[in-house]
Amino acid sequence: MTSKILIIPTLLLLFLSACTDNTLDVQIETPISYEFTRDGNSTVSFSGQTTRISMAEELSSALLNFDKSAASLIEMYANETAAGADADPFLSAELNASTKSIRSKVAASHDFFYSNQVEAASIKMDIESWISAQITEVFPHKDQLAALGTAGQIADGSTARYVSAKGLEYNQAVLKSLIGALMVDQMLNNYLSTSVLDEASNISDNDNGVLVDGQSYTTMEHKWDEAYGYLYGTPGANYTDAMETLGSGSFLNKYLGRVDGDADFSGIAQDIYDALKLGRAAIVAKDYDLRDAQANIIREKISKVIAVRTVYYLQQGKIAKANDDLGGAFHDLSEGFGFVYCLRFLRIPNSEAAYFSRTEVDNFIELLSAGNGFWDIEDATLDQISADIAAKFDFTVEQAGS
Amino acid sequence: MFKKTSILLCLFLTCFACSDPMETSMFTDNFDRAEMLEFWADDIIIPAFQSYAENLDGLDQAASSFFTDATATNLEGFRSAWLAAYLAWQEVSLFDIGKAEELGLRNFTNIYPTNTDLILSNISSQDLNLELPSNFSAQGFPALDYMLFGIEEDDALILARLTEENVVQYVQTLIDRLIDLNASVLLDWEENFRDEFIANAGSSATASTDKMVNDFLFYYERFVRASKVGIPAGIFSGSTEAELVEARYADIYSKELFERSFLSVKNFFRGISFDRTQEGNSLEDYLDHIRATNGLELDLANSIISQWDSVDSALTELSPSFANQVTTDNTKMLALYDEMQKAVPLLKVDMLSALNIQVDFVDADGD
Repeated sequence: MTSKILIIPTLLLLFLSACTDNTLDVQIETPISYEFTRDGNSTVSFSGQTTRISMAEELSSALLNFDKSAASLIEMYANETAAGADADPFLSAELNASTKSIRSKVAASHDFFYSNQVEAASIKMDIESWISAQITEVFPHKDQLAALGTAGQIADGSTARYVSAKGLEYNQAVLKSLIGALMVDQMLNNYLSTSVLDEASNISDNDNGVLVDGQSYTTMEHKWDEAYGYLYGTPGANYTDAMETLGSGSFLNKYLGRVDGDADFSGIAQDIYDALKLGRAAIVAKDYDLRDAQANIIREKISKVIAVRTVYYLQQGKIAKANDDLGGAFHDLSEGFGFVYCLRFLRIPNSEAAYFSRTEVDNFIELLSAGNGFWDIEDATLDQISADIAAKFDFTVEQAGS
Repeated sequence: MFKKTSILLCLFLTCFACSDPMETSMFTDNFDRAEMLEFWADDIIIPAFQSYAENLDGLDQAASSFFTDATATNLEGFRSAWLAAYLAWQEVSLFDIGKAEELGLRNFTNIYPTNTDLILSNISSQDLNLELPSNFSAQGFPALDYMLFGIEEDDALILARLTEENVVQYVQTLIDRLIDLNASVLLDWEENFRDEFIANAGSSATASTDKMVNDFLFYYERFVRASKVGIPAGIFSGSTEAELVEARYADIYSKELFERSFLSVKNFFRGISFDRTQEGNSLEDYLDHIRATNGLELDLANSIISQWDSVDSALTELSPSFANQVTTDNTKMLALYDEMQKAVPLLKVDMLSALNIQVDFVDADGD
């Protein structure tokens, strides 16, 4: 009897100390930089993402090139001719040689669009239609002043902005929408998803160090890097020390930098960077729970960044309008329009769900486009959309709006 | 007893909590903003626009003389008249309010660097529309700078070029446009806006004082500090950009243009009339009146003026050509920028909070 009583605490003690040791063994530190190697070779690769961002950067300047035809811009979007033949629409020979395209990865995530092709097709088409409209609606009026119901140019400070009859800059609608439809969707709903990371034999391959043919990485490692690439793989950025070039390029990285620069949200870029590094380290250490916890941190924070920036532009547009700065207002609201379109791709952490349904986003877009669009949009409408967005997150319209 | 103490304590806390805002409103209320606005309108702003109009007339006459008789002497006269008008412009640029703001006077008058390709294509264009924002950078003083000083390699070639019919026509169109734009701004000040401006003497975001002070700050920060000094010195790009100075084709005048605009800033703050003969109520008096202090509890108006004295000292070190200065010794240009920059928090933080005025502009998004 006595011995039994003694044994139990002893066992408990042993058990507890074993536990502690074990925890110490698998403690995974957040790496200082995004550098991972195997046998002295880097295992990090996201060139496909850098390529697509580069294509989007070229499309960005082409959308204001008045010598372009609608067909040639759409070739840049699709990297093929309307008939599906190979096209060379880019200035960069490297991009022309690539078989990748922007369009093929628009609304193309596994989790949101795998069996939702009707919506995916309509999103691809929305973006294509704005590209065409830049040529068919705006370019013919490029040498006229914009007026209510008439496309043309309008001054935003000393810059000329080219707007539709409703005051919308189609180039902004296209480029900002791509942040959501291409970059955020691929990142949050595809490459960070268990459906992609754990597909086929990915787990056992990663557990056993089975590498992709001819490469230094496992499939799972590569998938995670592809998520990283859509944010920090901006052409010319520092890929291993991403905070050094935070804000570079014209897409997701840029606006993460902008939100991080707002005192209300400072630190969010570092949090995302840390989660990307720790998640990648967790894959190396085969700790998939830790990996998924990081994926959810990234989903939460990237979603918040887009939502904050959306509210920011809607509120800035409202302020510019109140100051009779119509050109400035139209520019803010055009960026806001594109960011509103991005809301559809935001992912609630620890769930399969989107923050915003198709219907909700369509409703916002309809409110922004109704009647004469930005020419006579009401402050109350902008405030209502802002409030509806902020209500889903832990920030206020005031925090985001300035 | 105990109860009484807690009531007293509550009272004390309540008083303490609300003492700050009361103090502010108590001091700001009895400064006569209307008197200050009247002095601004009658003794600074309207005379400055009138002088600018006269100088534009001078430019127009000098152009006619040259176009009638294209001699080297007349070209010199034309160029001097351009400089005189450009200097007069520096004294009105600050007043981007009323009709000037509505028309976008500054955008049509002084956007640089000028776009020489666009100018050359406009010269041969059949349907020129200078009202388009895309033509901001093909008109105004910077475009005339290019045509009078930079369109060809040397003076003989420039003179010859300025006799070509479509070039003459373009130059004349640019001058006429400056005259017309300013005429409508001046007319509006004289016939409508003066009274409206003075009557709007309250303190709200749309009151004349609040708007004018914002315009003043924006002008100082963006157009004097950044455009004329910071950008050529490479503050924002990391490397010097001599080609971005004001009047880059006649860059020998870039310092003089800067000095005149900076003088207009100082005189406006101090309430020195356009003709330099009188002193009236202005921001300096306003700050003195409310006994405003800087972060170190020193007299705020004096701190600002003495900081600007340091700007003037830094300026004496500089070459008349800012382009030359940034190329040969940019450190001195950077030193000028630093002295200008030190005044920004005094104006934007200390002055605005003392006057209880909200900033109504944000730094541009840049995209």
